Amino acid sequence: MTKSAELHLSDGDPRRAAYASLVREAAAGDAGAMERLLVGAQEVAYRFSLLVCGHAEDAEDVMQEALLKTYQHVRRIQDPEAFRTWLYKTVRNACLMKRRRRVDEPAGYVSIEQGGDADEGEPRALGVADTARLADQQMIDAWIGVRLREALQALSPEYRAVVVLREIEGLSTREVASITRLSEANVKTRLHRARVLMRTRLGPALAQSTKTAP
Amino acid sequence: MTSQSCHTIMAHLEAYLDGELEATECQAIEAHCTGCTSCAAVVAELRETIGLCRQVASVPLPEPVRARALERVRRLLNG
Repeated sequence: MTKSAELHLSDGDPRRAAYASLVREAAAGDAGAMERLLVGAQEVAYRFSLLVCGHAEDAEDVMQEALLKTYQHVRRIQDPEAFRTWLYKTVRNACLMKRRRRVDEPAGYVSIEQGGDADEGEPRALGVADTARLADQQMIDAWIGVRLREALQALSPEYRAVVVLREIEGLSTREVASITRLSEANVKTRLHRARVLMRTRLGPALAQSTKTAP
Repeated sequence: MTSQSCHTIMAHLEAYLDGELEATECQAIEAHCTGCTSCAAVVAELRETIGLCRQVASVPLPEPVRARALERVRRLLNG
C-alpha cells in the first residue's frame, strides 16, 4: 500500500472528501469545478506563504506555481483523495524554493528552511526590518489582525508550519506529518508547544477577553 | 484517569483539546477545572488561542488578491 493510500483509508475527513469530489468534477471536464479548484489552490498558497514565510511578494509567485501545478496535476490525477496532501506539499516546496533564492535579504519572519533547532519554539534572531517587511506585516495585520500575526511570528518556522497546517488549514495530524515529513508524535509535540507559546504571547489579550466574556 | 491533580490534567490537556479523550476522561478534566481556577484559565486560554487560529480559515483573502487569483485562472483556462 502506498503512503498516500494509507492516508485516506483510515481518515474520513469531510473536507478532504469535498476536495476530492471537486477534483473529480474538474478532472471530468466541469469548467466551474476547475475554476473553483484553481482559485482554492491559490488561496491555500497565499495563506501558507504569508502566514508561514511572511513574504507578500513570494505569495504571488507561489500562487502562480500552485495554479499551474494544480492544473497539470488534476488533468492526469490518479488518486483524488490524496489531492489535498499533494497540494500542501507542493505549496510548501514552492515556498522553500523561493526562500532559497533570497538568502541575502533581511527577514522579519525567519524563513521555513532557516529554522534552527527543530525542538526550539523560539525563533532565531531577526534581521533588520526593511520597508518591504513593514508592508508585509501591515498586509497580514489587515487580514488576520495584529495579535495573531505577532503570536505566529513569535514561533519558529517549524512550529508555525504545524500550527498553520493543523489549526488554520484544518488538516489531520497524519496529513501534517506527511507534508512536513515528521512523525505524528512529533507533530503533536510541536503543536502543543506552539499552542503554549502562542497562549503566552496572546496572554494579556486572552485574559482580557475571558474576563469580559458573558 | 483517576487522579485529579493539576499535573494529570496538564498531561492530558492536548488530547482533551483535540477531542481525543473518552467522555469519562473529559468529565474528569471538567470537574477538576470547576474547582481549580488556574487549570480552568489554561484550558480557556488555549481554547481561545485555537479558536483565533481557526477563525483565519474563514477570513476571506484580501479582495485584490482574490481578483488576481481569479484573473490568472481565467487567463489560463481561456488560453
